[in-house]
Amino acid sequence: MIESVRDAVGMVLSELGSELDDLVVVTADVGRATRAYMFSRRYPSRYFNVGIAEQHLVNFAAGLAAAGARPVVCAFSMFLMRAWEQIRNTVGRMNLNVKIVGTHAGFSDYADGSSHQSLEDIALMRTIHNMSVVVPADVKDVLRSLPAIVKDVRGPVYYRVGRDYTPSITDNYDYEYEFGRAYVLEEGYDIAIISAGPVLLESLIAAKELKKLGVSTTVVNLINIKPIDEVLLESIARRCGRIITVEEHTIYGGIGSAVAEVVIQKYPVPMKFIGVVGYGRSAKNVKELWDYYGLRSEVIVKTVLELLKLDVDSDRT
Amino acid sequence: MGSTLSCIEILTVLITKYVRRGSDKLNRDWLILSKGHAAPALYTLLAEVGIIPKEELVKIQSINSILQGHPDISIPGVDMSTGSLGQGLSFAVGIATWIKFKGGYGRVYVVMGDGEQDEGEVWEAMTNAVHRGLDNLLVIIDVNDYQLDGRTAEVKPKHYMPLIWRVVGWEVFICDGHDVVSLINSIDNALGCRRPSVIFARTVRGRGLKPIEGTELQRVE
Repeated sequence: MIESVRDAVGMVLSELGSELDDLVVVTADVGRATRAYMFSRRYPSRYFNVGIAEQHLVNFAAGLAAAGARPVVCAFSMFLMRAWEQIRNTVGRMNLNVKIVGTHAGFSDYADGSSHQSLEDIALMRTIHNMSVVVPADVKDVLRSLPAIVKDVRGPVYYRVGRDYTPSITDNYDYEYEFGRAYVLEEGYDIAIISAGPVLLESLIAAKELKKLGVSTTVVNLINIKPIDEVLLESIARRCGRIITVEEHTIYGGIGSAVAEVVIQKYPVPMKFIGVVGYGRSAKNVKELWDYYGLRSEVIVKTVLELLKLDVDSDRT
Repeated sequence: MGSTLSCIEILTVLITKYVRRGSDKLNRDWLILSKGHAAPALYTLLAEVGIIPKEELVKIQSINSILQGHPDISIPGVDMSTGSLGQGLSFAVGIATWIKFKGGYGRVYVVMGDGEQDEGEVWEAMTNAVHRGLDNLLVIIDVNDYQLDGRTAEVKPKHYMPLIWRVVGWEVFICDGHDVVSLINSIDNALGCRRPSVIFARTVRGRGLKPIEGTELQRVE
């Protein structure tokens, strides 16, 4: 039983190392923190630590990919963002097969505070042409998706994970990972909650609470944020008629925006975004931060009821 | 145009004498024009050796031309899309590392500008290259004494750069970047080294075009 999402990443990469002899793991002095070092124990010659140098890290990996290697970059999500321009101008423009694993994303690095809490990365990576964005919900999702992404997906992918905190979310759901697809975890007809990452847990809890109140709720795991599952999103907009998005990320440019871009063009319905406005802060655990920033099931339930009421009111007029 | 003319001999020597082309990524040489704004020099040489058609040269930067304002891998003979300064060396370190790991004989040549040395990523890359012992990596720095806002001595002095590269562990050579014999001697010496090598090629901005020679002017007005 793996109880940390970064441990899952390290384990998957070290297992893939025997199957893929072109797989290399590169990091920037965060080999221990990202668990990239787990790969180095088995394949020390295919593990490259470039020191605290994220810009070089990205272009170094780009060079490895151009020469025929299959690099996986492991670094803190926040500090990879300082290499946004390297990712855009070299990895993206040249469409290189570089997989970028950003760990410690969202509030997972609760103690370190706002300097380490990456809340803009989905927005930044999503805008880069050729770049795909994947956000697994828990360890099970990492085990499902990471091997497929490293083995079968050509081109750059940003893979966003947290640090340790990984409640069991998708263990009891049976689906195989497919690049570009979204997954309906719970079927409902009154409202859809679309989410990704660990806060998907709060969405599922909210759906249970809403059921008690007689609200039938769809819950979607939007593990693939880009490319996005347009067909599924449109069908959900048509069926549920109202959508709420929940993300451990700024509401600007993140999951809510990605969903809205599809919905507004395919089948516009009322939406609400639940996410973060601000930079984060230190706390003693992740849940304190979820409480502080309103990423909790109670807030989701309240927002759903408001959205439904809005709908009832507008029906009357 | 000024920085194209300062590195024309450097690229001439590299492309006509040293860079071995081929499809095998590990057993051919790579040429990275990290100072991508000298693209016209690169395109001219690629046309001269028959990789791109000469008639394409005058179409540079036209909407339907293959020749972009800065090197792009969609152009035959271009190994890296550049234009954003400071990124070529890191990319080259990645290529050279994989070639060395796989036992290929390919070499990686990088042409940088002196102004480009201001970029922090150059430091990140040059220190890493030494740590990896990349004896298959050769950098030539076109020292034309100018950057976008004027003389390097005024914007940000760089006279100490050869010392810095040397102290970090690079094999350092200094040559006349407009003298083909001087360039060839330096490159031959560099290729015999067991460490990554850098050649500081002293050049004159706009060389050969008298109205702009040794000035910050981009073109003849």
